[in-house]
Amino acid sequence: MPRTTTVESSGCPPLRALTFDILGLIKVVEAKGEQKEAPKVVEKWGEPDASRCVLAASLVDREFDPLLGVARKSGKIEVVSPVNGDVRASISIESQNHPGLADNSIVGLHLFKGERLGSSSRSCNLLTCTSKGQANMTYVKMSKSLEDSGGESTQTTWNVCGSGSILCSKVDADESYALFGGKGVEVNIWDLNQCAKVWSAKSPAKNSLGIFTPTWFTSATFLCKDDHRKFVAGTNSHQVRLYDISAQRRPVVSFDFRETPIKAVAEDVDGHTIYIGNGSGDLASFDIRTGQLLGSFLGKCSGSIRSIVKHPELPVIASCGLDSYLRIWDVKSRQLLSAVFLKQHLNSVVFDSKFSTREAQVPPQQQDTYEALQTEEEEEKTVKRKKASKEHSGSKKLKTKKKSKRSKGDSNDIA
Amino acid sequence: MGRKRNLSEDGGREDEEEKPMKERRVKEKQEGRESMRPSMIKNKEKRAAVHAKLKQQKKVEKRKKVKAREAAEKKALELGEEPPPKMVPRTIENTRESDETICLPDDEELFAGNDVDEFSAVLKNERSPKILITTSRYNSTRGPAFISDLISVIPNAHYYKRGTYDLKKIVQYANEKEFTSVIVVHTNRREPDALLVIGLPDGPTAHFKLSKLMLRKDIKNHGKPTSHKPELVLTNFTTRLGHRVGRMIQSLFPQDPEFRGRRVVTFHNQRDFIFFRHHRYIFETKESKQKESKGQKSKDEKNPPERTIARLQECGPRFTLKLISLQHGTFDTKGGEYEWVHKPEMDTSRRRFFL
Repeated sequence: MPRTTTVESSGCPPLRALTFDILGLIKVVEAKGEQKEAPKVVEKWGEPDASRCVLAASLVDREFDPLLGVARKSGKIEVVSPVNGDVRASISIESQNHPGLADNSIVGLHLFKGERLGSSSRSCNLLTCTSKGQANMTYVKMSKSLEDSGGESTQTTWNVCGSGSILCSKVDADESYALFGGKGVEVNIWDLNQCAKVWSAKSPAKNSLGIFTPTWFTSATFLCKDDHRKFVAGTNSHQVRLYDISAQRRPVVSFDFRETPIKAVAEDVDGHTIYIGNGSGDLASFDIRTGQLLGSFLGKCSGSIRSIVKHPELPVIASCGLDSYLRIWDVKSRQLLSAVFLKQHLNSVVFDSKFSTREAQVPPQQQDTYEALQTEEEEEKTVKRKKASKEHSGSKKLKTKKKSKRSKGDSNDIA
Repeated sequence: MGRKRNLSEDGGREDEEEKPMKERRVKEKQEGRESMRPSMIKNKEKRAAVHAKLKQQKKVEKRKKVKAREAAEKKALELGEEPPPKMVPRTIENTRESDETICLPDDEELFAGNDVDEFSAVLKNERSPKILITTSRYNSTRGPAFISDLISVIPNAHYYKRGTYDLKKIVQYANEKEFTSVIVVHTNRREPDALLVIGLPDGPTAHFKLSKLMLRKDIKNHGKPTSHKPELVLTNFTTRLGHRVGRMIQSLFPQDPEFRGRRVVTFHNQRDFIFFRHHRYIFETKESKQKESKGQKSKDEKNPPERTIARLQECGPRFTLKLISLQHGTFDTKGGEYEWVHKPEMDTSRRRFFL
């Protein structure tokens, strides 16, 4: 019998999410938490144009001067302010051997938070990866006006794979390692400081029938914030695998999820819960230490999930995909908090978690050159704080290592 | 059951206070008529009689109501007043669950999205539609008959034997030969039961359940369609998904109908079922019936009023489609991403529709 009573939705906590769709529009969805209102689209940036289709997006989430990187289908990469949507810089990645980006589109984009090559508030670093396997580190100088930007950018390019096509790329929390994987490409990890390959995975053995499933990674993510050695990858043959660099080249844990390819994998901050979305719109959370299903997120979700994000502070995840809904879920009760219809197929979503504090302090429009200096100083402070926290996390790392060993033991027991 | 309990409660005192008890019971009967239902009566004959009586009463009341309404309407017309508003019956369609995905005519993003979607090349007349029709691996009796009917409905459709080719190979072949769509008729136990429509080169793949198939030769008084390009009628495709499915169907047919042929192909969506009909129409002028009143007759004798009526003749197959899934990209069961899949948890309400 169908359920006749409706479950009380506990309402959305205050949050701000940015979604990117196939027409190149950036939509800002905001929920004001006090009145438990449903989230609404508050802003829309850009003109609908298919060539500006957003392929990847990355957000530097900080209180002062947050930045948003957006990779377009036309091969352009824009650095946008997520506060008011102003384009701060716009560059195009030069592809060496492949004239025209027709079949060499950008699949991954990462905007660096930390300092690298002397970045300041006037410049930033970004890592892009195209489907043919060209990784590209770019240093971009920004300015207030668009005209004189884009000229000063230095690029370093290297090839991640010889053949196949890259489908996923990710940078770890310390921003010193990146992983790449795709169709016909085993996951490999690169040291971004030396631009050298550190590790590459080995495909799992043939099964009992002697059938070998070809490698086809569709999504991947690093598991812990302070550990680059463990990561989770989803494959086209609906398998989810946990790799541990320090242990072995083959997956430590692997399990199947439903029948359609895994399209999105996201990690929780606790370091062992992961969220998996697949091609037919199923969303579930797993405990990766044991590979056990914690529960499915049930809703009227009917289209492939392209992107899942965990909110850095709140117990909330957002998912979006081909059904053109942005859905916000509670992690603990696995209830749908709200769904916002955004009209186009969505490619990715990011959370802007610091917006409430930012709103409380300075209205963003009033930031002029004089204040920019101030923000620079404050940024240095935050960086110092970050370093301190890093040291702190270093001590944590040891603990987690022990824990991981124990968990490995657990998994062996189960296996 | 309240009556019975009352009886048993009062049973002990019955011999003492028989008279007042009887009175009370009579009173109860008069008051409790409303609450007493015929289903409470245990004797079948009595129950049936009471039920029949009630039914008759209801019928009479209803007839009275209708008559009163008609009389009021007539009176209002005579007096030249506004007739009372007509009652609208509550149906499942008009009490449908509200859906924010319903397309609105002032939605700019919708039109911008339409301009760049997979069907726009065909719908803007940049490419003329060319359809490849094939079958599942095994195919006999009703399958081929249905395909020959389909070919007569869809212009520029070509049947290719399936052979033992993979569907992916067929899609590749069709892409090379510049087909715009592939239709696969799937048969089960010699009866067509599913339709797969694949847009090319990178259009979506729609999987329909096919039911209630009636071939042309089974339709009484069917007409034989001409080879003119048909007109297309798509009704009730309201939501985003419906809109997309409608555009997909639209891209199967040429966008410049030949009105001389007077052929019309209808895809009518009702409660998520898409009904397919194929007709030929004709406009006929007929003298309208003269009214018997004498005054009018003398007036209209010179030019008897003519009115045109449309007559329909059904030709071609008749079937019903129901969308099972809409997949992004061409046919790929293993690695495909779905834009929409029907899931059992969606069926929790009768008033929820997706197209």
